[in-house]
Amino acid sequence: MAASTPDLQERNRRLADLLHACAQGRQAAFQALYREVSPQLFAVLVRILKRRDLAEEALQDALLSVWRNAGSYSADKGAPMTWLVSICRNRALDMLRREKREVSLDTDREDLDEEGRQVSDGETVMDAVNVSKAEERKLDDCMGRLNDGQQQSLRLAYVDGCTHEEIAARVGSPVGTVKSWVRRGLESLKRCLEAA
Amino acid sequence: MNYSDPRLQNLLAGEYVLGLMRGAARRRCERLMMESAALAAEMAAWESRFAAWALRLKPIDPPAYLEWRLLGRVRKDSQPRGERLRNTFWRSWAVAATILLAVIVVTQKFTPTTEPKAAEFALMSDAKGTPLWLISVHPEANRVDMKVVTPNPVPAGKSYELWMIPDGGKPVPMGLMNETGVASETVPPELLARLAGAKALAISLEPKGGSPTGQPTGPVLWVAPLVTS
Repeated sequence: MAASTPDLQERNRRLADLLHACAQGRQAAFQALYREVSPQLFAVLVRILKRRDLAEEALQDALLSVWRNAGSYSADKGAPMTWLVSICRNRALDMLRREKREVSLDTDREDLDEEGRQVSDGETVMDAVNVSKAEERKLDDCMGRLNDGQQQSLRLAYVDGCTHEEIAARVGSPVGTVKSWVRRGLESLKRCLEAA
Repeated sequence: MNYSDPRLQNLLAGEYVLGLMRGAARRRCERLMMESAALAAEMAAWESRFAAWALRLKPIDPPAYLEWRLLGRVRKDSQPRGERLRNTFWRSWAVAATILLAVIVVTQKFTPTTEPKAAEFALMSDAKGTPLWLISVHPEANRVDMKVVTPNPVPAGKSYELWMIPDGGKPVPMGLMNETGVASETVPPELLARLAGAKALAISLEPKGGSPTGQPTGPVLWVAPLVTS
């Protein structure tokens, strides 16, 4: 994103206005929203679903649900684009499951309590966050401090929609190692991002 | 396990947002989020952090017919909201189509006949994939054929009307659909030339005899991409 922060704020305001107008049933606002955001959202969906036809279906479903639920958008859900991306990714992940790419999950979730050290600050968390240049740089910076396996695992999961098993196959490591990379990665990343 | 543990919440939220929870675990996490504002905030924070990666992907334009299909759904969706909302959208289509018609009339007069293009096809299927019509374009004969594959009775007092969806443009009426056998529509060369660059065909439900305005007034029932043979 090459936008400077004022541009970004301007865009966020415009998108929030369009969502507000959608919530009032204004179809022209929906069309304007579609034209502005669909190429970026479509790219996210194509990347995760790997198939154009599925990505089209997901985009249609996701944006129809945006139209129907535009009134539920509020700043505490993040910047408008963040909200839209999360709706699209959720739809795509549901479809992946339907396409039987499922597996994984929390057979070993119970061991989380025992593992590792205690995180000192129990504070949650940033308020409505705009993905600004500075925050993006910080994310890059903090990602750079993780080891390669941790970085790859987080990116493959978020950007490509890979499961633990798929990540393990891609990087050639055991599933257990990938799971621990993800956890350590998330913990270190959060600590780094929240450091002053 | 104790879901109020901040460290556990961070991991749950992070793995949820990464998409590493699927199926039942994902559903359970969503339910927990409804109960726990802290977990919800943690999830929103991870969504915001990682969104930068999603937004870095090179944008891809979705196919043009998706916009029209989606707007058709949105319009259908809004019908119970009342007449006022319903009409504004199609009025704008109507204006655009009037302009388009004027353009076609003018180009018909002044441009030489375009060279013949390869024939195109569209297979109109329902949601279950049952093929309903095979539509074929025959530029050399100025003709579009509509062959019934699976008969699909029209509701009483209604007609199915065929529309061309130009690339990035507004719908153009192509005639009424037949209920049996094969029907042909004569199409002027300029319209055929537009059809060659069109991305899709669509069928809407209209009053008997077709749309009274010359523009879609009913729900869009089926859309099919145009494929060059």
